[in-house]
Amino acid sequence: MRGHGFLIANYVRGNSVIHRTPLWLKFLLVAGCGTASFLIVDWLVSAAVLAVMCGLFLLTGAGAGRLWRAVWMVAPILIVIGLFQWWQLGGPTAARIVLNVLVCVVAASVLTATTPVQDLLDGVVSLARPFKRFGADPERFALTIAVMLRSIPFIAGAFSDVRDSARARGLERNPRALVLPVFITTVAYARQTGDALAARGLGEAGD
Amino acid sequence: MNTIIFSGVAVRVAVDGSHTAKTLLQDVSFELTERRIGVIGANGSGKSTLLRLLNGLAEPSEGTVTVNGSSTVSEVRHVRSQVGFVFTDPLSQLVMPTGREDVELSLRRSVRNSRERAARAEAVLDRFGLLRLADQSIYELSGGERQLLALCAVLAVDPKVLVLDEPSTLLDLRNRELLRRTLAGLEQQIIMSTHDLELALDMDRVLVVDDGRIVFDGGAAEAVDRYRELCAAELEADSEGVHRP
Repeated sequence: MRGHGFLIANYVRGNSVIHRTPLWLKFLLVAGCGTASFLIVDWLVSAAVLAVMCGLFLLTGAGAGRLWRAVWMVAPILIVIGLFQWWQLGGPTAARIVLNVLVCVVAASVLTATTPVQDLLDGVVSLARPFKRFGADPERFALTIAVMLRSIPFIAGAFSDVRDSARARGLERNPRALVLPVFITTVAYARQTGDALAARGLGEAGD
Repeated sequence: MNTIIFSGVAVRVAVDGSHTAKTLLQDVSFELTERRIGVIGANGSGKSTLLRLLNGLAEPSEGTVTVNGSSTVSEVRHVRSQVGFVFTDPLSQLVMPTGREDVELSLRRSVRNSRERAARAEAVLDRFGLLRLADQSIYELSGGERQLLALCAVLAVDPKVLVLDEPSTLLDLRNRELLRRTLAGLEQQIIMSTHDLELALDMDRVLVVDDGRIVFDGGAAEAVDRYRELCAAELEADSEGVHRP
């Protein structure tokens, strides 16, 4: 399989003020953006928050190219959502919903671009530790995040590969030729990932 | 040295739409104590199933598999801490976006302190000459580099036994040679399936698997000869079938 586009920006080494910001504050920023996306009712406010988040991303030194790639990957879904909401609820609501999703994507990218994955996983383990008393395994929370970060770009890459092979056979307009192979590839990938983790003894009870 | 014992092992799997189970392995019994063990055989002969039993990735339908006395079914966690497994396609195995992160992921279970984990990961990557590639996306690496990285991620936790399922299948000649040299320098007991008969000849003992059975178990040169005879006989049988009116 070829290299994949990344929905969420990978870690970029640096020493920006965002890099140096404590992890809990970055988590809070992402959680805040997620909550705000439900509370903001004016698309102009959403646009302003998005502008601030984009500014924060550029402050990290990760570059506009990475920001564009992160946004570009969700563009097809956002176009579909935006058109549907426009039809159902009108332009301002559609703009607000699309902009709020973008705020979340950019906020997540700020977090992942400035935090090494292992630090992120350690942070998740710390956050999940209180649930240990209820029988939850904090390491499994972290592993779930790790697998999610890996799986999204894989599925995006699988879609690109399948689209190319459908195009090569003149089937680019056949949704079944696109969806079914991606579905099968994704299931196979999930099984392989499960095997790979099991073989390394990761994700077992009591880790 | 480690002792791996297969005792009367059979593996059967249910087949969709059929009442009878498909037999992947049957009547497999042996004891492995040698340092370098090869497993050769045709595609679909049962090599991968045999290897997957060693790490508890597959469970026997009959019989038992033990590694240093520990059952691969009831003591699978302990077995997996002793037996590392390298898959054919490193992309199936590498879970994290970069090599450094993947090696650190391997170490999460054994090293809780993040600084110590980072230092250990760096040391392992350096040992295999992969430090310069540590922060590159795994998709930017060559097939050989990925395979070495997958090996490195497994060796990071210092297993006693290393199981490799056709590790050279996706590699070019140069990378195959690199892998061969790397494996030769390891102190772990190695059990490896391969289609590369040159690699098989490096082994102390080779098992030939055919249609789910061990049809030869002995020295590397005799095993390779036996495998060639087997292939020749099957080819002849196939061509007779084709030419029969």
